[in-house]
Amino acid sequence: MSSVATAPSPLSRLLSFWPIVTLVALATSTFLLLLPVYNIVGLSFSGQEGGAGIFENYIMFFSEPYYYRSLINSFIVSISAMVLALLIGVPAAYIVSRYDIVGRSLIKTAVVLTFVSPPFIGSYSWVVLLGRKGVLSQMFADVGISLPSIYGAPGIIFVFTLQFFPFVFLLVSSGLKSIDQSVEDAARNLGSGEGRTFFTVIAPLLLPSITTGALLVFIASFTDLGTPIILGERFRVLPVLIYGEFVNDFGGRPVLASTLAVLLLIVTTGALLLQRRLAARFSYATSAIRPLTLQSPGPLKRFLASVFIYGLVLLALLPMINIVISAFLKSNGPVLVAKFTLANFDKVWRMADGPLLNTVMFTTIATAMCAIMGTMIAYIIARRSGRISALLDTVVMFSYAVPGIVLGVGLVVTYHNPPLALTGTPLILILAYFIRRLPFSVRSSVSSLQQLSRDTEEASINLGAGPGRTFLKITVPLLSMAILSGALLTWSNTIRELSATLVLQSGSTTTISVEIFNEVANGNFGTASALGMTLIVLTFLPLLLLFTFLGKNEEALV
Amino acid sequence: MTTSVSIDNVSKEFSGTTAVDSVSIEIGQGEFFTLLGSSGCGKTTLLRIIAGFLPQTRGDIRFGDKIINNVPAHQRNTGMVFQNYAIFPHLSVFENVAYGLKVRGRSRGDIDREVRQMLDLVRLGHLSHRLPRELSGGQQQRVVLARAMVIKPDVLLMDEPLSNLDTEMRLHLRSEIRALQQQFGVTTIYVTHDQEEALLISDRVAVMSTGKVVQLGPPREIYLQPSTLFVASFIGDNNLLPAMVEETRPDGSLLARLPGGQALIAHAVPGQKLSHGEACTVSLRPQDVDLKQGGPGGLEGVLEDIQFLGNTIKMYFSLGEGKPVVVTLPGRHDVTIPTVGSKCTLHPSAHAVTAFEGVVSQ
Repeated sequence: MSSVATAPSPLSRLLSFWPIVTLVALATSTFLLLLPVYNIVGLSFSGQEGGAGIFENYIMFFSEPYYYRSLINSFIVSISAMVLALLIGVPAAYIVSRYDIVGRSLIKTAVVLTFVSPPFIGSYSWVVLLGRKGVLSQMFADVGISLPSIYGAPGIIFVFTLQFFPFVFLLVSSGLKSIDQSVEDAARNLGSGEGRTFFTVIAPLLLPSITTGALLVFIASFTDLGTPIILGERFRVLPVLIYGEFVNDFGGRPVLASTLAVLLLIVTTGALLLQRRLAARFSYATSAIRPLTLQSPGPLKRFLASVFIYGLVLLALLPMINIVISAFLKSNGPVLVAKFTLANFDKVWRMADGPLLNTVMFTTIATAMCAIMGTMIAYIIARRSGRISALLDTVVMFSYAVPGIVLGVGLVVTYHNPPLALTGTPLILILAYFIRRLPFSVRSSVSSLQQLSRDTEEASINLGAGPGRTFLKITVPLLSMAILSGALLTWSNTIRELSATLVLQSGSTTTISVEIFNEVANGNFGTASALGMTLIVLTFLPLLLLFTFLGKNEEALV
Repeated sequence: MTTSVSIDNVSKEFSGTTAVDSVSIEIGQGEFFTLLGSSGCGKTTLLRIIAGFLPQTRGDIRFGDKIINNVPAHQRNTGMVFQNYAIFPHLSVFENVAYGLKVRGRSRGDIDREVRQMLDLVRLGHLSHRLPRELSGGQQQRVVLARAMVIKPDVLLMDEPLSNLDTEMRLHLRSEIRALQQQFGVTTIYVTHDQEEALLISDRVAVMSTGKVVQLGPPREIYLQPSTLFVASFIGDNNLLPAMVEETRPDGSLLARLPGGQALIAHAVPGQKLSHGEACTVSLRPQDVDLKQGGPGGLEGVLEDIQFLGNTIKMYFSLGEGKPVVVTLPGRHDVTIPTVGSKCTLHPSAHAVTAFEGVVSQ
C-alpha cells in the first residue's frame, strides 16, 4: 500500500500558492501602475481642453513656445548635467580606485552622503550660500568678486551635476573592480602609457558602467522637480510645468498635465530602453581574478589628483555642512544670524506627531510591503519560467521608468472620484511609494536567488513541504540578508520622496520633504535646515547599518 | 511502504530536443536500480520526472499500480539525495533531518526519536546540533541521506550523490549507501556516470544514451554481454578493432579479418545479423587474452610497450596495422613478462570475442 496522495484536480492546481501570488502581483501592478498610466495617456488624447481632435493637446504643446520651451529646457539641463557628471565622475572614480591617496574610504562615504541627501535640500542650501543675499556671494562681494548667480539654467545644471555624479562614480568604481590587473599589465607591457592604456583598454571595458551611469544621471535630472522649482525662477522645465498645471490656483488642468506627463514618460522610458541596449551591447562579461591594484603616483600626479578629488568632495559636501551649521543658527526669515540656537529643532519636535510621524509611518509600511511583495515577485521572476513571469518582470521594471510626478498625476486622475476616492488619504501615498520602490526589492532578491541553487528548495519540496511552506521555511531564511538590504535601500530612497508626494499629499498627510519644501518657499531657512538635517540623518542611518553590519559597499546603491 | 516503480513509454522534450526518448522500465519493490550514462544522456531528467520536478511530455509514471503523473512533487513521498547535497544551510543537522517529519505533522516525541535513530545509523548522532557549514562534504551527504531516509520514502532517488566527494570518501559512502538500502529494503533509483560505481552498487543497471535505454540488466550481464557497440565501449576497458566479415558459420560464429591481414573467430552479438563482406567491429577485453608462443588460432603481435600498474600489467601489442591491442595480466609473483620487441601469439579465451555491426568512431 503506497502512501502517495491522489492527483489533485486542475482547479486546485490553479488555486495553489504561486499562481495566486502571481495573480495578486499582476492585479496590484495593474491597478497601481498600468491603469494610472493608461488613464493619463487616455486623457492626453481626449482633447477636452485643447480642442476637438485627439492630437489637439500635443499640437498645442508643440506650437506654444511656453510649452515646448520646457521640453527643450529639460533636455538642456539634463544633457549638460550628464556630460559634466561624466567628466567629473569617471576621473574621480579612477583616482579613488587606483591611487593610494589619503582618506579613500572617507571620500567614498562623502560621495554616498551627497548621493543620498535629497536634491531639493542641496538646491536650497546653495541658495543660502550663493543666492542674492547668500553667505558666500556676500563674502566674495566684500572683496570685490561677484560670483555667478545660482538661479536659472546654470544653477540647476551645477546642482544636478554635484547631486548626480555619484551615479557615475559608483558604477565606474564597481566596473573597475571587475577588470583584471593582467589586462592593464598586458597593455603596459606592449608599450602603452597610463593615459593611453586608460583610453584604449580600461575605458572600453568600462563602457557598460559609463553608459548606465550617464543615462541614470540623465533620467534623474530630467524628472527632478524640487531643484528646478527652487532654482528655476523663469527657467521652466517639464516637471515644473506638470506640477504647475496640476496644482495651479485656478483648479488645475489634469488633461494638460497628463499630456506633459506622457511626454516625460516617453523620454524616461526611451532612456531606460537605450540604457539596457547599450549595457548589453558593450558588455564583455569580464571577471577579475586579481582586480586592478592600487598605484603610487608621482608627486605631481598625486598633487593634481588630490586637489581635484578633495576639491570635488568639499564642493559636494558644502551644502550639507551649510545645513548642519544653519540648523543651529538663529534666522530672521531668509537671513541667518550668527547666533547659536536650538529653536529650529523645537519646530521639528512640534512636527513629531504630524509630518515626522507621517514620513516614518508611510515609509515603513511601504518598505514592508515592498519587502514582502518584492521577494515573492522576485521568486516568480527567477524561479518560474514562462510568459506570465516574463510579463511580471517587464511590468516591475516599467515602474522604474515612471517618474514620481507622472505616477502622482496618474494616481490622482485614477483615484480621485468615488467609489475609490483615495486622493488625500495616507493609503494613496503608501501605495505610490510601494509601487515606485518595488523594483529595488525585486532586483535585490532576484540577484540573490540566481546565485542560490534550486536544489535546496527542491529538497524541501521533495520532503513533502508545499510551495508556500518551502518559500517561507527555506527560501526566505536563505534570502534574509538580501531582503533586509533591499528593505534598507527602499527605506532610504522612499523617505526623501518629493515629486509624487507633492502631488498626492493633502494637509494632513504631509511629509518632512514637503514641509522642507514649504519652509523654503516661505523663506524659513532655519527651520528648513533643521528639518533637512533630520531627513538626511533618517536617510543615512539605514545605509550605515547596511555598510557596517551587512557588509555591503557603496556600489549596492546604484 | 516502499513500492515498485514503472516508467511507461516516458518522453521529455525541451523546445525541440528530446531529452528522454520513449523510456520504459519496470523497477521492482526493494530493488537498487541505476541509470548509468554520460552527461546529457537524459538520466537526470528522467530522475527529476520521477521526483515530480519536471512534467513528462508523454507517458506514465506509476508507483505501485497508481499513476502519479499529476501528483505534485511535494506529495510524491520520494526521498531525494542531490549531487551538491542541497542541505538546508540555516538549519542544524537535527533540524535538517527532522524537516520532512515536521512537514508530515508528526509529534515532537516521534520526531525526536526517529531523527536520533537515523542520525546514529549514519554515525552523526554526536553532531546533531552542528550547522552544515561545520561539517565535511561526506558528513553533509550523510545528513542528506538521513534526511531522505527518515521519512520512509516510497522510493529513494539519488542524483550522483558521490560525485562531489574525494575518492576515499566516495568508496566509503558507497558501501554505506548500499548497506542502508539493504537494511531498509527501500526501492532506490540511483543516477551516476561512474560505471564502476554502477556495477558495484546496483541490482540492475540501465545504460542510457541520447535519451534512450540502450541496455538493461544485472551488472555482470551488462559487462560480459554488451548488446551494442556503444555499451561495449562505454563499460569497462575494451579493445575495439575494426574488421571485415570474411565468413559466416551456421553456429553464429564468424571469421573476422583485421586490417593487418590477420583473422580471428568472433561471435555475432545476439540480435544483429552480420553478412559476408560487411564492415564490423570486434571487441576483446584486455584480460581475456592468453599469451603463448605460437599455436593455432592466435594473433601474432609484437610487444611495443609495458605499463606496470601493481596489481595488473598492461601490455600493448602491435598487430602490424591499426591501434595496438591491449592485454592485461595479473601482477602475480609467478607471471612471466615478455620483453619489449619480442613476438607473442595472442589467444582470446572462448566466447570472449564479440562482433558488432558498424564501426566505432574514434
